[in-house]
Amino acid sequence: MTVPYGAGQSRRQFLQRAAILAATVPTMGAFLAACSKEGPTSSGPTLTIAKPDSPVKWDIPADNPAIADGMAPEKGATLKIYNYADYLSPQAIKAFEDEHGCTVEVSTFNDGDEAITKLRSGVDFDIYNANYTEMSRLVTGGLLRPLNHSYIPNISNVWPTFTNPWYDQGWQFTVPYTIYTTGMGWRTDQVPADIGALKNPYESLWDPAYKDKTAILDDFHSAMALVLLKQGITDVNTSSADDLKMVGEQLTALVQATSPKVTITMYSDLPAGQIGLSQMWSGDIINAQSYLPEGVGTEILRYWFPTDGKGLVDNDMLVTLKGGKNPVLAHLFLNHMLDPDVAKENFSAIGYQPPQNTITADSLVEEEFIPENLRSAIVKPEYFDAGYRILELDADNDAAWHNVWNAFNAGGS
Amino acid sequence: MLQRSREPNTRLWAALAAPGVGWLLLFFLAPLYVVLAIVFGRVDPLFRTAVPVWNPLEWNPAQFSYVLSRIAPGDVYFPAVLRTVVYVGAASILCLSIAFPVAYYVSRLADKRKGLLIALLIAPFWISYMMRMLAWVNLLQNDGLVNRILNFGGFLDVQVDWLTGQPLVVVLGLAYGYVPYMILPLYAGLDRLSQPMLEASRDLGANRVSSFLRVTLPLCRPTILAAVLLTCLPMLGDYFTNDLLSASPKTAMVGNLINDSVQAPGQTGQAGAFVMLVLLATVLPMFYYVRVTLRGDEVRT
Amino acid sequence: MTTQTEVRQARGFRGPVGWYRDPWRRPRVLAAITAFYLAWSLLPVLIAVAFSFNDGRSRTNWQGFSFRWYWGDPSRSVWHDAALHTALFQTLKLGVIATLITVPLGVLFAIGVDRWRGRLPSGANVLMLISFVIPEVLLAVALLFVVTNLALPIGLGTSAQVVGLVTYQVAYPAVLVRARLATIGKQYEEAATDLGASPLGALRRVTLPMLMPAIFASTVLVFADVIDDFVLVRYLSAGASTEPVSVKIYNTARAAPTPALNALATLLLVAALLAVTIGFLVYRRMTRGDGTTADRGLAAFAGEA
Repeated sequence: MTVPYGAGQSRRQFLQRAAILAATVPTMGAFLAACSKEGPTSSGPTLTIAKPDSPVKWDIPADNPAIADGMAPEKGATLKIYNYADYLSPQAIKAFEDEHGCTVEVSTFNDGDEAITKLRSGVDFDIYNANYTEMSRLVTGGLLRPLNHSYIPNISNVWPTFTNPWYDQGWQFTVPYTIYTTGMGWRTDQVPADIGALKNPYESLWDPAYKDKTAILDDFHSAMALVLLKQGITDVNTSSADDLKMVGEQLTALVQATSPKVTITMYSDLPAGQIGLSQMWSGDIINAQSYLPEGVGTEILRYWFPTDGKGLVDNDMLVTLKGGKNPVLAHLFLNHMLDPDVAKENFSAIGYQPPQNTITADSLVEEEFIPENLRSAIVKPEYFDAGYRILELDADNDAAWHNVWNAFNAGGS
Repeated sequence: MLQRSREPNTRLWAALAAPGVGWLLLFFLAPLYVVLAIVFGRVDPLFRTAVPVWNPLEWNPAQFSYVLSRIAPGDVYFPAVLRTVVYVGAASILCLSIAFPVAYYVSRLADKRKGLLIALLIAPFWISYMMRMLAWVNLLQNDGLVNRILNFGGFLDVQVDWLTGQPLVVVLGLAYGYVPYMILPLYAGLDRLSQPMLEASRDLGANRVSSFLRVTLPLCRPTILAAVLLTCLPMLGDYFTNDLLSASPKTAMVGNLINDSVQAPGQTGQAGAFVMLVLLATVLPMFYYVRVTLRGDEVRT
Repeated sequence: MTTQTEVRQARGFRGPVGWYRDPWRRPRVLAAITAFYLAWSLLPVLIAVAFSFNDGRSRTNWQGFSFRWYWGDPSRSVWHDAALHTALFQTLKLGVIATLITVPLGVLFAIGVDRWRGRLPSGANVLMLISFVIPEVLLAVALLFVVTNLALPIGLGTSAQVVGLVTYQVAYPAVLVRARLATIGKQYEEAATDLGASPLGALRRVTLPMLMPAIFASTVLVFADVIDDFVLVRYLSAGASTEPVSVKIYNTARAAPTPALNALATLLLVAALLAVTIGFLVYRRMTRGDGTTADRGLAAFAGEA
């Protein structure tokens, strides 16, 4: 018969094993240190943060040159794109696949932090949908491949400012992808009030009348910037401890008042009726039209953004990654997305506006691309002069902001 | 009868067990040390990624104490910790109150249809957990079947928002997901109870309730404990049920805290700290489970 | 034990109180609870399967019957969407590889630890039982740290996922086989060695065949668990090409899912049912005439010896 293993024996064994383990730990430590992966070390004491009033031209290190001119695209390759979900038109992808005889594989991430962590862990994506809040870390971390402009003639189709943006002078690494504003979206059948006509439209998210019907963006910087703007603070990249403390308190009050969802899928939740009022990106409300169930018209959707442009304005960019195995195809894909027809089709598929010269607010409403009730969701060039940008934060500030956001996500104070 | 010495066989058994033991040491125990190295390690000043520090003498307790100082009652992370305990407790009780009668019925009382019932009980294992949760998300949507049934032909207009931060929905979701994992061990244990012993108490005059409380329950206590622990402990790390059924910080659990901070720059060490804390908190129940199981092994022989 | 029907017939009608006190009455309450549980457990899934045949995009409004999401829709159906193929293929790949490694590892571990006396094996046993109950996310985070911080030959992707899955599942065969070993007892093996077989020979020709039900059951259970696994494979994945169906469902469910997802899950369910049915039939053939497993049917197959 089996010998009964008493609890006392197993406890003693465990303690003995723990003692042996403790004795061998320093040697194991040395062994593990030898095996440790050396990640890219930080060069220089601080990150160079680009700002609209202090533009940056990045240095290209000698060991990271752009590819040579006139190379042939890779044959039969799999182009790997790392992007948000539902943020790239399947038709555009198919057209590219057919044209170059390759396969395109899209992997998705939920937020920028998760993406950067993945990129640094040694994956081989070719293209990444970046935001300028990550530029400095991406460049300094050696994750980006410089562009060879000869492959991307379609850059002439986009707004001229993007050939020399403040975050990447001389467009050495980036091409613009979409432009968007961050405002408030709602549906009139759940929220009859005209949110846009209120004195402080952001405040409506705290209104208990809309309990369980609201949502805010699952992006720490956008959501916390909303709180700052609600309180009238226009420095949305503040490092003031008082401001951050206030944001934390306001977020707690928000949870008590309306218990919002924290998500980036309002483009499908709002039309499905799950939520009635939400902080939204302008592209989401336009995209929401295609997710409305049958029988529900688009006239119930509304969007508000300050008419003077004094709100959050941003653009996304596409970059090529150093770890990618198909640089030529990557360049060609970037060029493909800058083509006016492809960009317009992408616009209709994902709802986000590309900064194409041929697309203006009037032309869109005229062609009935965008209904009149959503005209406020169209991004105008003037917004980029008056609006506030969400910028990259330095390490300490980033930590402080994340701590507030973490506390909010934990459902605590 | 020849009594062969068993000693030379030890090497054989050791050789058989060695791959398994080696695997567990290498891929189960060693990674826990890596977690320690990250929790007590440094943070790269520019990219805010975690840098492990391998030598215990150089360990930096900053990240660990940051988390530790915030889980006391009244602090930032306490609500999430409390919520986890409450949700898991409630879900476990709910699971047990459903699983035990079902397991009892199927193991002892369902003569003819036992095979079919067991097949139906095992079926959830073969259906993707995600799919089962997704099925409920569909049903609980504002225009889903549940609301439509509640509106019963337009008599009432109950528009309950089930999927925005409702603790009840999360607890029910957890119970729904984990109840099959409790039924199977309960069934196995109840099946082994000897019927004559149960009948004896009835024959001796005890009524149904008394017989159940004083004979059946004590006999299957180890089984119940093992089944509860087997279900309850994995539930502590669950975060996706909450993510799918309620994308609101109002119902965040410890698993969500871990998941949210693992990939976030500068927060990886905190994630590791949460992992360690959950491990420490569950090590006692885990050892208790081990003890119950080992003792169960004795009883069986 | 007298059959319940015979006893019941002998009693006749007794009224509600008599009915309550009758020790041989049919357990209606428990049966009702079981029926309710089965309905609660399986109905949502059946509804989800039903909606996979929906003609429209909605997963809540029935818009007609069609196979659109299986092969009809030219871009988003399971047949046409390459991303869904990749997910399905990855699920099956992980299932097969992980099971092939886990079951032998666990079985040998159980046999070895059961016979080996000493502190190391009982410690290993404790470690194995802990790996059985540990919350999955703890193991996933630990392995993620290992893979991303140590220069191992294993990078993020299928190999890391397999390692994680094997570690998490190895306890299953180990526990089942140990339970079965305890039930069998030592007498058969001792008889074989007394008759001149070497310990290894006795193991191979006597014990292993008797362990077949447990080995089979654990293969089935491990496979079911691995193809359904979510936390480990998500943390250790390297991109869309290594994301199995469970991660796909999670990612898409939080965005804008179409009934193609329901169709994918239904296909997986059908494949699983087929595998279980085939497995059960094979098992029945293999254990025909085996005294220790007769009349156990599905119960033994389910893993409880």
